[in-house]
Amino acid sequence: MAEYKTPKKVKYRKQQRGRMRGMAIRGSEISFGEYGLKALEPAWITGKQIEASRVAMTRFIKRGGKIWIRVFPDKPITKKPAETRMGKGKGAPEGWIAVVKPGRILFEMEGVDEKTAREAIRLAAQKLPIKTKFISRKDQEGGGLV
Amino acid sequence: MIKDLTINANPRDGIGKGYARRLRANGMIPAAVYGEGKEPVAVAINAKEIAGILRSDSGHNTIFKLALPNGEGEPATVIIKDWQVDPVRGRLLHADLMRLSLTETTRVSVSIETVGEPVGVKLEGGILEIELREVEVECLPGDIPEHIRVDVSNLNVGQHATVMDLIYDREKIKVLTDEHHLVAGVIAPRLAEAPPAAEIAETAAGEPEVIKKGKTEE
Repeated sequence: MAEYKTPKKVKYRKQQRGRMRGMAIRGSEISFGEYGLKALEPAWITGKQIEASRVAMTRFIKRGGKIWIRVFPDKPITKKPAETRMGKGKGAPEGWIAVVKPGRILFEMEGVDEKTAREAIRLAAQKLPIKTKFISRKDQEGGGLV
Repeated sequence: MIKDLTINANPRDGIGKGYARRLRANGMIPAAVYGEGKEPVAVAINAKEIAGILRSDSGHNTIFKLALPNGEGEPATVIIKDWQVDPVRGRLLHADLMRLSLTETTRVSVSIETVGEPVGVKLEGGILEIELREVEVECLPGDIPEHIRVDVSNLNVGQHATVMDLIYDREKIKVLTDEHHLVAGVIAPRLAEAPPAAEIAETAAGEPEVIKKGKTEE
């Protein structure tokens, strides 16, 4: 499975893991399209999962519509080789992930009717390891209140 | 839009997140009232009433009356200037209310509503892309429109509408957004199933270049 875009240049090859406390403040509203997918749980979303979601959505909407991907996998993750004893330093970079907090908009879509958007986004959500919610700009215009 | 509606504001006599959480648990939200050169007042208001205003057709541009606590004279004429919403549960957390004078012009953002289905979408299979969804306007509070319309029905693929094409009363309302700013356009459909090659990294591709000179681990 192909990976979604990866950083071209980085300052450091490896990063510490960090924590995923709190909720998404930025990127929690639909900014470009008409419909979107919102994360309801915190998770590391890998570049491969993002790419799988993108392919699922693109295949379903075929020629129509436009898609925005609002997360970018810019955090390198490392892995130690199999059957290796602990110690001897941090493992080698293995892939890229995006840190996603609850409330974050993951994908946006425009140029298709709501039924198509719901199905395309449902297919995309199935590729992700977290609970998500379909939202539309109409909900957001009512003050973002559910 | 001016609404004949008065909301009661209670005094807020505590501070901090614990107090704010207790307020929210009781169906109230903390709010700040400011503007018109008067001292800002911290109040607590009913969340459902504010949510109802935000959900109404005129939305955040609704002008209503706020009965301030401690009988501070006449109810203030206010507008919802800003609000915070819990990004997961969608509950209202806080609101900023701004006092208005009905005789002085004010600046607000008004949503843009597209009218009609573009020719480029109907006949050529293009995609209507909306670039600007709100414009900033200056007018008297009584003249604030619910929406500003733009007719997109004549747009072909490659054509667009700008702020200049918006339909509104030019004598009463002054639009502050640049008149050449793109509002909506019809773009050509993507060719089916051609994944943007540049977007996909090859799995076999090596590690990215490390910017920093000096020691590279290992």
